[in-house]
Amino acid sequence: MSIIFKDVHRYFGSKKVLTGVNMSVQPGEKLFVIGTSGVGKSVTIKHIIGLLKPTSGEVSVDGVRVDKVSEKELFTIRRKVAMVFQASALFDSLSLLENVMLPIRKHLKLKDAEVRKKAMALLDEVGMLKHAGLYPSEIGDGMRKRVAIARALSLDPAYVLFDEPTTGLDPVSARRVDSLISQLATERNAGCIIVSHDLVSIFSTATKIAMVYKGIIYKEGPIEDFHSSTDPVIRQFLSGSSSGPMETPGF
Amino acid sequence: MTGKLYEMTANLGGFVTGIFAAALSLFSIAMRTFRGVFRFRGRAQGEVLKQMYLIGNRSLIFVTVTLGALGMVLVFQVCLQINKITGDQSQVGPEFIKGMIHAFVPILTAMMLATRVGAGIAAETGSMVVTEQIDALRMTGVDPVDFILVPRFIASVVMTFVLGVYAMVIVIVAGAFMAHSSFGVNYNVFFVFDKVTGGDLFIGSLKLIVHGGAIPIVAGYCGLTTGRGSEGVGNATTRAVINSSLAVIIIDFIISGVGLLTVQKI
Ligand SMILES: Nc1ncnc2c1ncn2[C@@H]1O[C@H](COP(=O)(O)OP(=O)(O)OP(=O)(O)O)[C@@H](O)[C@H]1O
Ligand SMILES: [Mg+2]
Repeated sequence: MSIIFKDVHRYFGSKKVLTGVNMSVQPGEKLFVIGTSGVGKSVTIKHIIGLLKPTSGEVSVDGVRVDKVSEKELFTIRRKVAMVFQASALFDSLSLLENVMLPIRKHLKLKDAEVRKKAMALLDEVGMLKHAGLYPSEIGDGMRKRVAIARALSLDPAYVLFDEPTTGLDPVSARRVDSLISQLATERNAGCIIVSHDLVSIFSTATKIAMVYKGIIYKEGPIEDFHSSTDPVIRQFLSGSSSGPMETPGF
Repeated sequence: MTGKLYEMTANLGGFVTGIFAAALSLFSIAMRTFRGVFRFRGRAQGEVLKQMYLIGNRSLIFVTVTLGALGMVLVFQVCLQINKITGDQSQVGPEFIKGMIHAFVPILTAMMLATRVGAGIAAETGSMVVTEQIDALRMTGVDPVDFILVPRFIASVVMTFVLGVYAMVIVIVAGAFMAHSSFGVNYNVFFVFDKVTGGDLFIGSLKLIVHGGAIPIVAGYCGLTTGRGSEGVGNATTRAVINSSLAVIIIDFIISGVGLLTVQKI
């Protein structure tokens, strides 16, 4: 029972984004994926749900090779592994309530009234029930993110992937997201992978950290290993210093 | 020398496989759209109506002004030439009406909709790609083609037909007005429909329906293959306008040819 990356390479044309990623996540774990902008964090986690296929290498979820299966067979994986997208990715043409209802309706064979009830309960959990009838364009980024989280949790996933869940949130909402992640991991034993730049949330929440750098997982390990690390690249990232050995693409 | 030749062959190879892959993916989108239409259920009815309204709203004035003006200019020119030769204007109306119905109006209406509707669909779909909404749809187990293209396809087929018929009325009325006001052609002489055969009506309608279907499919393909960033959306929109106009021209050419060889009398 785990998500495993084995020597995953991913190229876009001649651009080599991932060049040998190895990592794993067990249920109940909270793995934080860190790294500079454009290094390939989003690309990495999209492999888990088959939104991207590796150029070479293996990705498996609970023993199923997701790089091998067809779009149709991914349906069961996508029920088991939910994702909160970086820009929330709510459907513009649907109301917030309908946004949460859509995956429930498609994946679980429930009656319409039950789908609605479940969706309302989820919106209530993230404090968005009173806005249920609004459209994504009518609310702010932070609220959209909360709805996106409600939508992702609608199928009781075994794993949840969060792509920068606290970016753009106020500190109070950000800490709420952190505790929600912890709750998922401890109460439901969900495996969580969180892409994040938010040092507060990393050090308060992570059980494990993986740092993506130059196409590979530069270092993976428990939080203490990062605290005590003397590696100059890791030190530079964690201190957020502009001078140091780290290469940042685009600068 | 061989290096250069090799490079050229490789480039050509890449170009050909690229075209082949694009054709294949366009074909797949078309098939999924047709299948989606047959499995279409009531839930998306609201979306279809909304899209129909948007298409109509975006195009009504555009179609009225353009076709009204064109109708007048065409009739004016024809009458002017005839005046120089025989001066017998009695055949202008019947021939004009026939030509409008089976040839002129279907392609012009469709070209206008290709710019308006095609650009709109590509921009919307493209921005859904860029904002990861398409990824989110795939996560949900919903085919993006079903969700986005099927309602727009149905709306476009219906509205292209409706707008086409409307455009025929406008163009003919505008033409008659010009013939009457500038050349004194009697309305009774202009509005004569016996040149119009069943074949003409069939070909005119067929063109409108096929064009109406081709535009959202081509534009949707351009939108779904959008590159990264807002620049990608801009490119997709431009590609959609060019490619759907081109599709309309090619389809029109084929249907016209087949029509003339089969159901139509020249
Ligand atoms: N579909 C794609 N086609 C081409 N290039 C891509 C594609 N997706 C990602 N890339 C490239 O891969 C690299 C990594 O992108 P990714 O989105 O994973 O970065 P990231 O680590 O998530 O950064 P950020 O913190 O800014 O979100 C970027 O240089 C990007 O341009
Ligand atoms: Mg990212």
